[in-house]
Amino acid sequence: MRNALEREIPEQIGTRDVTPFAGAFATSRTGPKAARPQKSAPRSEDKLLPSIDAAIEATGLSNGMTISFHHSFREGDRVINRVLDACARAGLRDLRVLPTALFQVHEPLIEHVRNGTVSRIEGSMNGPVGAFVSAGGRLAEPAVLRSHGGRWRAIEAGDVEIDVAFIAAPQADPYGNATGIRGKTPCGPISFSTVDAQYARRTVVITNDLQPYPVYPMEIQQGWTDWIVEVDEIGDPESIASGTLQLTRSPTNLRIARLTTDAVVASPYFAEGFSFQGGAGGISLAVTKFLGDEMARAGIVGSFGMGGGTKMLVDLLHRGLIRAILDGQAFDLDAVASLRDDPAHLIIDPGLYANYDSRGCATYKLDAAFLGATEVDLDFNVNVNTHSDGRLLHGIGGHQDVAAGAAMTMITIPALRGRMPMILDQVTTVTTPGEVIDVIVTERGIAVNPRRDDLRERFVAAGLPVRTLEEIKAEVERLVQPVRKPVFGEEIIAAIEWRDGTIIDVVRKVEGWA
Amino acid sequence: MNVRIGSEEKGDCVVEIVRGGAIEVETKNTDLLEEGIRTVARETISSLGAKGGARVLDIGALDYVIAARIEAAVRTAHPDETRPLVPSVDRCATDRDRPRRSRLYAPGNRPRLLVGIEIHGADSVLLDLEDSVPPAEKASARILVKHLLAAVDFGGEAWVRINPLEVCGARDVEEVLLGRPHGICLPKAESAEDVRALSELLSRVESEHGIDEGTTWIMPIVETAKGILHAEQIAAADPRVVALAFGAEDFTRDLGALRTRDSLLCARSALVAAAKAAGIQASDTVYADIEDDAGLAEECAHARELGFDGKGAINPRQLPTIHRAFSPTAAELDHARRVVAAAEEAEAAGSGAIALDGKMVDRPVLERARLLIRYGEQLVERGDAA
Repeated sequence: MRNALEREIPEQIGTRDVTPFAGAFATSRTGPKAARPQKSAPRSEDKLLPSIDAAIEATGLSNGMTISFHHSFREGDRVINRVLDACARAGLRDLRVLPTALFQVHEPLIEHVRNGTVSRIEGSMNGPVGAFVSAGGRLAEPAVLRSHGGRWRAIEAGDVEIDVAFIAAPQADPYGNATGIRGKTPCGPISFSTVDAQYARRTVVITNDLQPYPVYPMEIQQGWTDWIVEVDEIGDPESIASGTLQLTRSPTNLRIARLTTDAVVASPYFAEGFSFQGGAGGISLAVTKFLGDEMARAGIVGSFGMGGGTKMLVDLLHRGLIRAILDGQAFDLDAVASLRDDPAHLIIDPGLYANYDSRGCATYKLDAAFLGATEVDLDFNVNVNTHSDGRLLHGIGGHQDVAAGAAMTMITIPALRGRMPMILDQVTTVTTPGEVIDVIVTERGIAVNPRRDDLRERFVAAGLPVRTLEEIKAEVERLVQPVRKPVFGEEIIAAIEWRDGTIIDVVRKVEGWA
Repeated sequence: MNVRIGSEEKGDCVVEIVRGGAIEVETKNTDLLEEGIRTVARETISSLGAKGGARVLDIGALDYVIAARIEAAVRTAHPDETRPLVPSVDRCATDRDRPRRSRLYAPGNRPRLLVGIEIHGADSVLLDLEDSVPPAEKASARILVKHLLAAVDFGGEAWVRINPLEVCGARDVEEVLLGRPHGICLPKAESAEDVRALSELLSRVESEHGIDEGTTWIMPIVETAKGILHAEQIAAADPRVVALAFGAEDFTRDLGALRTRDSLLCARSALVAAAKAAGIQASDTVYADIEDDAGLAEECAHARELGFDGKGAINPRQLPTIHRAFSPTAAELDHARRVVAAAEEAEAAGSGAIALDGKMVDRPVLERARLLIRYGEQLVERGDAA
């Protein structure tokens, strides 16, 4: 069948019935949430266990069950690989892994798929695991990719059930309270795991810094935690930056950042109380910095900036240019320190951030957002998951949540990467539909969605180089011979969920080239 | 002879000439890109009328870079049998007094820095064949610059800084004029003869290639003690000269002076006076510290006080500051419009004397006002009003 974006999707993916994407805000739910089994802990219960292996045994983890993790240590994570090794030692098979995201550091997971310990993955895949899955045929069911808010919603709705949540915690107490912003190796909030901790049948906190009761802030609460394991190492906080946190020096990217900033300033949203979300990419960081300077020049104080927290964002808070930061993850150690020391730097969880089936999302309070992409198309659809060669190499992150939420969503993308044009007739994979994208900023001009003539008029009046996507596309295509495109077979390797749980697109296995 | 042209820098490619007719392509993304690269290589070799094959190692080069590297390799391998490619170029000459607030330098031998140089909104881009290009790469750089000129719409003006004529400037001109630049920058200009020699060369090459004679502008760069002393003659040497540029680095070296505002003051003022006496523009030297935006803004303000119309830039990041400094302000434009309105009123009233706010307005002030308004209109048309 075809969904509202005319993407061909099957009625069933693996064992799951597909509800096709019908529009960014087309569905609504009224039923009850899922729930975990109740448990009454006696006053004296000792929650400490000596090892991960002991925890696996205590939880009763068995073949075919689902285990979950957070990604707050990003490239520095040491827990996912260790837990999976322990699962393999215990002889477990066919596990489903539900991480909030996987990174290059999780390449050993591939071996656990090969040896049968893991047979399904539902979560963002950055790098080698994604490339492995793209090669196809290895997982028992196609991978499922969800946005940060979408994952929360799916767990809360019972679309996906977690048997055991393993939560890496930079500091925890023996009764099961835990935080990510204190301890020997703080990584920033671990609030991505709060939904796992509350909905998993069993919750295990793994810490390298066990401190006397009470540890705070209680991101993970004693009432949710079954067991605590103390280990020597959970992650390397120096690696949370994933190597992405450099203010770009590329003239092309700086040009995009400058145009984006100028467009924000020309928009109706740039006024007292302005709010925005940046990201960790080089362009986003530069825009955050430039915007701060523009706010200072205009004498504007913003209401809030939304993380991933970065030094650039923290600087704005400390200069008094924004009143608060809402942060679900830290992208550098400056953000971690600020979360600990500044009460205006708030930890939020993905439910508060972006749960579609909730009574309010923080992303809906955003005026402007500037997000990256791997490709865009003439309908303003955005791909962040696959490359133009069809390989699945990135997760969704908060892309859908922020794009749907912000009053003005801007995609920053070079029109050319090397020889590869990035504006296509149709994106390889739709992650985020054009209906929630307002502006696409390239180094060769700013394209405004026809829905937003109001913005286009303001940009033109401000002397900004407004052009159509067709014009920019034609200009770069004059510089390069046509690029071949992948031909996809029938086999589906991953499903892309829209944040409401409908299927916006699927990723198929590449079978040839046209 | 083992010919190898290009580099493994991002945006470039390495071309080797190989025996036999095969074209071998190596690229990071073979499935998607190999075919396109092969097409460019094959078509370039065939338009050169050459036989034989090539090996292309691609590092993300655009078509015009690949074509330029192929042409340079084939011509190096067969210097006597191949003629330069003549690309088709659609480019019009520019107005003598168009806004030239910025001249953005880019090294003519490095695709990494050349590709996309046209997107930054510089009033003029200056593709360099002189100081930034080592002797061994002069030949391939001028071919690359030719292909870039032919492939790209610059929005503003495209200039080429050639080498001094006594070095290899003549060969530079013969090659790059095929790409139809708006103008040629002549470095180390020291006399009217230098300028006239270039003008004569341009006339010859223009007529050889059916380019309207006299439409390629000249911007002499004055950067020696002798050049400053002869600035008046240099500025007035030829009708092709539309601007004088100042080069402080070479100048201070020539003088044995330190680069300070004071040490350059006389030279700057002399250059501005020479340019304005000849009715042309004056463009200030580059500011070398790209991290120091405040310093750049200060130097721009100083140059504008002295009468300069623009400034060199070594990085696109410097353009917004330079453009802001050298654009007419709203107040200046407003005043200019009132001057012109007063002049029109006076004319309608049949009065020879123009008065504004109780003061007499001289003819030069009126001319200046008209120029400023036209300048402002051109910037608005470009979508680049400050």
